[in-house]
Amino acid sequence: MSTGPFLQVDNLGCVFDVSRRWLNRVIEGLPRRLLRAAAGVTFSIERRETFALVGESGSGKSTVARMMVGLIAPTTGDVVIDGVSMTDPRQARERRRLRQRIQMVFQDPYASLNPRWRARDIVAEPLRAYGLAGTRQDIDAEVGALLPLVGLDPADGAKYPHEFSGGQRQRIALARALASRPDFVVCDEPTSALDVSVQAQTLNLMRDLQERFGLTYLFISHNLAVVRHMANRIGVMYLGRLVEVADARELFGAPKHPYTRMLLAAVPDLTLSGRARKAVAGEPPSPIDPPAGCAFHPRCPHARDQCRTELPQLAVVQSSQVACHGVAEGWIPASPSGA
Amino acid sequence: MTAAVLSVRNLTVAFPTRRGTLTAVDGVSFDIMPGEVLGVVGESGAGKSLTGAAIIGLIEPPGRIAGGEVRLADERIDHLRPEALRRIRGKRIGMVFQDPLTSLNPLFRIGDQLVETITTHTDMSSAQARQRALSLLSEVGIPAPQQRIDNYPHQLSGGMRQRVVLALALAAGPELLIADEPTTALDVSIQAQIIALLRTLCRQRGLAVMLITHDMGMIAEIADRVAVMYAGRIVEIGPLHSVIRSPLHPYTRGLIGSIPTIDSDKDRLVQIPGSMPRLTAIPHGCAFHPRCPRAFAPCPTHRPELKDQAHAQVACWLYHEAPSAT
Amino acid sequence: MQTPLTSTRVMPGRLRRLWDSDIAWSYRRSPVAIVASLVATAVVVAAVFAPWVAPYNPFDAATLDLMEGFSPPGEPSPVTGRVFLMGTDGQGRDVYSAILYGSRVSLLVGFCSVLFSVALGVTLGLASGYIGGRIDALIMRIADIQLSFPAILIALLVFGVARGLIEPAYHEQGAIAVLIVAIGLSHWAQYARTVRGSTLVEKNKDYVLAARVMGRPMSAIMRQHILPNVIGPVLVIATINLAVAVIEEATLSFLGVGVPPTQPSLGTLIRVGQQFLFSGEWWILFFPALALVILALSINLLGDWLRDALNPKLR
Repeated sequence: MSTGPFLQVDNLGCVFDVSRRWLNRVIEGLPRRLLRAAAGVTFSIERRETFALVGESGSGKSTVARMMVGLIAPTTGDVVIDGVSMTDPRQARERRRLRQRIQMVFQDPYASLNPRWRARDIVAEPLRAYGLAGTRQDIDAEVGALLPLVGLDPADGAKYPHEFSGGQRQRIALARALASRPDFVVCDEPTSALDVSVQAQTLNLMRDLQERFGLTYLFISHNLAVVRHMANRIGVMYLGRLVEVADARELFGAPKHPYTRMLLAAVPDLTLSGRARKAVAGEPPSPIDPPAGCAFHPRCPHARDQCRTELPQLAVVQSSQVACHGVAEGWIPASPSGA
Repeated sequence: MTAAVLSVRNLTVAFPTRRGTLTAVDGVSFDIMPGEVLGVVGESGAGKSLTGAAIIGLIEPPGRIAGGEVRLADERIDHLRPEALRRIRGKRIGMVFQDPLTSLNPLFRIGDQLVETITTHTDMSSAQARQRALSLLSEVGIPAPQQRIDNYPHQLSGGMRQRVVLALALAAGPELLIADEPTTALDVSIQAQIIALLRTLCRQRGLAVMLITHDMGMIAEIADRVAVMYAGRIVEIGPLHSVIRSPLHPYTRGLIGSIPTIDSDKDRLVQIPGSMPRLTAIPHGCAFHPRCPRAFAPCPTHRPELKDQAHAQVACWLYHEAPSAT
Repeated sequence: MQTPLTSTRVMPGRLRRLWDSDIAWSYRRSPVAIVASLVATAVVVAAVFAPWVAPYNPFDAATLDLMEGFSPPGEPSPVTGRVFLMGTDGQGRDVYSAILYGSRVSLLVGFCSVLFSVALGVTLGLASGYIGGRIDALIMRIADIQLSFPAILIALLVFGVARGLIEPAYHEQGAIAVLIVAIGLSHWAQYARTVRGSTLVEKNKDYVLAARVMGRPMSAIMRQHILPNVIGPVLVIATINLAVAVIEEATLSFLGVGVPPTQPSLGTLIRVGQQFLFSGEWWILFFPALALVILALSINLLGDWLRDALNPKLR
């Protein structure tokens, strides 16, 4: 057991080569095109904590999640989970053991379960893959214990995914994630495809499971309200970079980065409190051709010359980390949310 | 007394299948006044999209309108032949669907698509239509319309495309706009922009809008009145403030309670047990009674009708005199 | 609290569910499907049990009587008085029995070659789609080249090469095997193409990602996850291809490069019968040809129905 945070992400980056094929490039004289999906991402997660990554499309949050579970190889940086590096080739054996303790829950309940497998086989796959249960009876017993944990009947194990609703499928996905008794679960927009009332059930269930099994969550979402409900700490991403990392209360109570403020202002007000709502101007730029300097400067009301040329780094401001020249140097006023 | 732009009475949409006839929309009635935005909210399977499709005559066979009537400015349109309906669509009813990628033809420039719509439904010449298209594009907030008008859909971002779709819907000057999940596929910040745009356009043109969505937040931003649908029926309909601040129907209460907000850290979200019934298994009596925390004697056997209650209308035996239980 | 997963209330009878399913319902409603499947089944069963069903063994020289040659169908033979349902050929062989035995060979070659091309095509298609990169490019280029040639030519080519490689002494024994490989090789490309397309779609789905997160090896993912989801269209193509394979075998045998004369198939019978068509003994050609048409047609119709029944958009 190592000291320090359970999970440490260090300068993580990923660049995709989306150029046209070599022959086309040579003939048409096109340049290489690189998509910087994520760059310089650094944060840590403590045990039993829920850390949320929020951002809009193109922010790179899904890419970061996939790098953390090993689905995508990072171009730069490293992820260290409980002392084991995810990229160091010398730690391949430790990584194999670590894999068992990491699981992932996906967004689309209709695509994350193999439509030709029965529910019990889907849930049992980690048991078989990691050799956690030997005989057929052992596996059946485990599955029979896992399904009620997520609120399903053990008899449901014989059904196929198409016989379940979206919310129930997500429960099966959760049961599958729990089968290998993981420590760390990455949830990529787990409730975005669900109806509101089903989302409530699923989120409540996820919190219960976290309490019961001491899970650590990385929660990816674009829905700030959901994140408010689930997360202890939040990282806001814009065009592949972290712009603000803060405690949930701090982020929602006193957001610092101009993008965070705008995001919060764009959330609809269900309490009809008459809170002033200001729509964000402009649109997220393309990650292939990002603006120079701070990627947010074209849409930022406080932008100055420095912002157009110099990339801001994450700096500690009060108890949060913010990547903004204005906040770091103090020429953007700190004010309550909404302004 | 101004007449309603859209008047729907007892609309029923049914699907004959080999297992019997499934009723997806069951006796839905509402009006929309000029300049009013009616938000039709419900979860998936509630039948709200089908209601919109039925109004504009886009139900795919074997589904069909099995009863009720739809009136546009007091003329019946539900029984019209497809050709007549087609003329009404576009000219008098504009439509905005969820996915801007499929609403626009990827092979044609957006200017051409706009001009085609305008010349089809009005008497303008091509040149006049192009002028109109330009003014529409700036009205929906597309910067530099002179250049953009010759772009293809794939050259525009998602938010821009949806603005073009709005422009297309409004091109012929309709009286009614039906928008089915118009911003669901867009980013949060863009959603806010499009909703604000929709609201401005409606006020300016006195347009009646039927906004179909599962997103209560969107409703709160823009709707004047709200209709809550469950299992093909309207369970509550009333002014925005009434329905959201003081919901009457237990389903509406549960729905609003289960939505997380950024303003408070709820410890546990309100949870409605179970899920929306499938079309093949809609419960007798009140469709919500198996999940309702306050179900009592008449609920499983008698189906409640929409009746006035305070500022709204609600279909629930908690508020109206229940028939003597059998 | 836990009920055992094998409790009977879990499965309300597999057979009952099959009967109630959409496919069975579509089958019951389609007279074409019912008739076609009955005919095809009858032919297949008769062919498989030919030694017991056929009244005579036409290839047992001992039972043949040259004097019974060219007996017309249904009429007693002038010499021995025996009646042959479909007449006899020049050697006194009962055409009806010959058809049954011939169908056996035709169907054997047909089934096996389809199995071979499915196995080869699906494996290559899966590898091509899932692994991608150069392997994909290589396999697809080979498939492209092959698809630009008519299947018969490819079969002829393979046959010729095999003939050259195998010693003449083994020609007859190996002929059927070579024939199966030849026809099989001429058809694998379409399976590979179809499976590759479906694999490309499936491999990006979340359930495959979930398996990769679990560290499942590539072969396990292809076999257990992707294969069951891409095999559907293959069944339809295979059924229709069965008819094609039978006809292709008949063609090759007709051309003289198919089955050896000691194990005639329907194609051989047709070739033999062709000689006698204009000299009056029409039945020697007619009945084997009719049998081939019925067999191919019924399998084809069955395949058509299957494709429509499995198409979710038409339901």
